[in-house]
Amino acid sequence: MSSLERDTVEMRIPCEPRFLSVVRLAVSGAAARAGLGISEVDDLKVATSEACTNVIEHAYPEGSAACGPIGIRMVVREGELRVEVEDQGVGFDPKRLPKVEPEERVMEEGGLGIYLMHNLMDEVKIESAPGSGTKVVLVKRAAR
Amino acid sequence: MKTKKTPLGSEGALFALYGELDAFTGPPLREELGEAVEQGARFLVLDMSQVEYMDSVGLGIIVGAVKRTREQQGNLAVVGPQANVLRVFEVSGTKDLLNVVRTLEEAKGRLKGLQIDDVEGQ
Repeated sequence: MSSLERDTVEMRIPCEPRFLSVVRLAVSGAAARAGLGISEVDDLKVATSEACTNVIEHAYPEGSAACGPIGIRMVVREGELRVEVEDQGVGFDPKRLPKVEPEERVMEEGGLGIYLMHNLMDEVKIESAPGSGTKVVLVKRAAR
Repeated sequence: MKTKKTPLGSEGALFALYGELDAFTGPPLREELGEAVEQGARFLVLDMSQVEYMDSVGLGIIVGAVKRTREQQGNLAVVGPQANVLRVFEVSGTKDLLNVVRTLEEAKGRLKGLQIDDVEGQ
């Protein structure tokens, strides 16, 4: 077993909002194991929950019955947690994501999830293509 | 999420919220706040001191409630969020627009037009 495998926690949740709190609990535990502080753990809970909520709300437009499981992979390193959230949904072209400015969206009732992810994490990467599912990579490091 | 609703004068309501506010727990709250405005509560105060978690779904629900109160010439204020919830308001740039304050007294000060003099204990 490689060191990467030894430090990796994987889980799959049903594509349903009632399991979001389960993911947050798991991320909290992994982040604490990585040595992150309370505010960093809180940021990870929000960013991961946003990524999972996006899967539930957007990845399977034909309805929840078609919604496959959401894969969550957490790579624990000293002072850093990397979280990958993956689905096999419809995917999209990341270049076509609207650039979100809070001053433009602030009084809309949605659309701030990706903005929050970018502003709470040290790194965010969105890998997707139409018909090929989506993987969101979130990285949070301990403050120095 | 649990809620406890208390009248705030004749045109307002104080909602104490408890627990987590996300895509699972949020929809019933959206309904509840919408119904309160429909029933004449054009001033809403949300006591969020007991809310342990909120993300953009919760934020969207509060933004929606603010819009509904303002359509009735009312407004909404948020009282006492914990540090992690306050951070979501701050990072999203909504703290001032949603009247996020520390105390109920400050909230009453933000809600111009709210008449509560005739309510005991408020």
